[in-house]
Amino acid sequence: MSTLSRDQVRTMMGEVLATQGKELPADDSTRLDTIGFRSLDFSELALRVEDELDTELNFDAPQLRSIETVSDVLDFVEQLQQA
Amino acid sequence: MSRPAGAGNRIVTSRYDGTWADLPAWPELPCAAAVLVADNTDAVRAVWQHVVDGDRETLVAAATRVDDEQAEGLRADGLAVVRGEDVEPAGTQRAADAGRVWLLTSGSTGRPKQVAHTLDSLTTVAGDQPARTWLCPYATGAYAWWQVVTLSLALPGQDVVFVEPAQLDEWPRLALEHGVTAASGTPTFWRQALWRAGDVVAQLKLEQITLGGEPVDQAILDRLREVFPDARISWIYASSEAGAAIAVHDGRAGFPQAWLDRETGGRPRLSVQDGELVIASPKAAEGMAPVIHTGDRVDVVDGRVLITGRIASDEINVGGSKASASSVRRVLLDHPDVVWAAVRGRKAPLVGNMVVADVVLRDGAEADTARLQAFCAERLPDYSVPRRMRVLPEIPIKETLKSDV
Repeated sequence: MSTLSRDQVRTMMGEVLATQGKELPADDSTRLDTIGFRSLDFSELALRVEDELDTELNFDAPQLRSIETVSDVLDFVEQLQQA
Repeated sequence: MSRPAGAGNRIVTSRYDGTWADLPAWPELPCAAAVLVADNTDAVRAVWQHVVDGDRETLVAAATRVDDEQAEGLRADGLAVVRGEDVEPAGTQRAADAGRVWLLTSGSTGRPKQVAHTLDSLTTVAGDQPARTWLCPYATGAYAWWQVVTLSLALPGQDVVFVEPAQLDEWPRLALEHGVTAASGTPTFWRQALWRAGDVVAQLKLEQITLGGEPVDQAILDRLREVFPDARISWIYASSEAGAAIAVHDGRAGFPQAWLDRETGGRPRLSVQDGELVIASPKAAEGMAPVIHTGDRVDVVDGRVLITGRIASDEINVGGSKASASSVRRVLLDHPDVVWAAVRGRKAPLVGNMVVADVVLRDGAEADTARLQAFCAERLPDYSVPRRMRVLPEIPIKETLKSDV
């Protein structure tokens, strides 16, 4: 299965925010609650990745973790693609 | 058996153009038979043989609907399985149940199940009717197909032009050629026709337009009214199990709330239990419970009872919030650029499911998915807004004329 780079996923994350008139800051340590990136946005990002890869991801595979920052999101999606 | 009043009505199929009475006899047809047909010509022959003989037990279905395993089941139930000239005798010998008509309906598992009717229980239109030429685009042997067939058998002046599945794309031309004045189809059927061949459809001299088989929304009723300002536009609620239960002719979606819990002799009694439409019908199939839980969800809005879709597929659990697929679809169809929409849940992390949608846009549409999402966001809670949306090149339609909206 092909995978998306961290930068590509970051761009997609920016697109999810942009549809709501929000902007993704450059700093990956930015907390999600400060930019208004919510569970629904995270889920949309995962579906965008699925559509881009044209494959179904195993959402149950990654270990449970706390997703609090932009970096956490990118890590999670990376892990999702490797599962 | 006495000749039915409609025996002289004209029947047009891809291989026959004549009256019911002139259909070639099928004397070698076993008395209890499941006739699995390749087209409507054999189907109407089997129907006419059933009518003429009077003591037959008949199931008519498109051969494509019945797999080998189910055909074996029919034989085990005492029906010979007939495919063209090929006759497989019944596995169990028994006397025919005279007058019985079997319908196949898609059960909750998706596997067809048999529902017991008679020509009488399938005949729901009576009294004087204006002479019409009907279009019958429904899947052969489906309940809606039988509605058109029994109408034509029971009443004079009700001709029928049958459409084969392979002709569905060109039905407007076929209807024009044969002078069709009345047509019945699903909302998806009408949407597709107006979208794909609106100019030809508009040339039809339709006096009666009927919709059924799927939730009927105001947008498609309004669109049909624009194109056919003088036609009577009706929608019906009918199923193989409950029979024809609701007929509405005022051009509006839903039916008046006053019809609920009303006792009128010989007519179905309609009620709502926990948001579900419940019907007690004298035209129900045999063996049904006296009160049928339809599995269809209803909303009462401004004195109208709207049938919005299947309960089982309507609710989408988005992180514990309940989105309604039919409500989202209604909003999308309210957008002037959207001619068709389907809404469903899609598995997603964190929230379990997300609302996603497929849409077909009108020619020259200015809207794109981002604009449609913004349109939905202004009218729906955030968990109900479709987060992924695909624009399809054309309206998908199945042999049932439905598109799983």
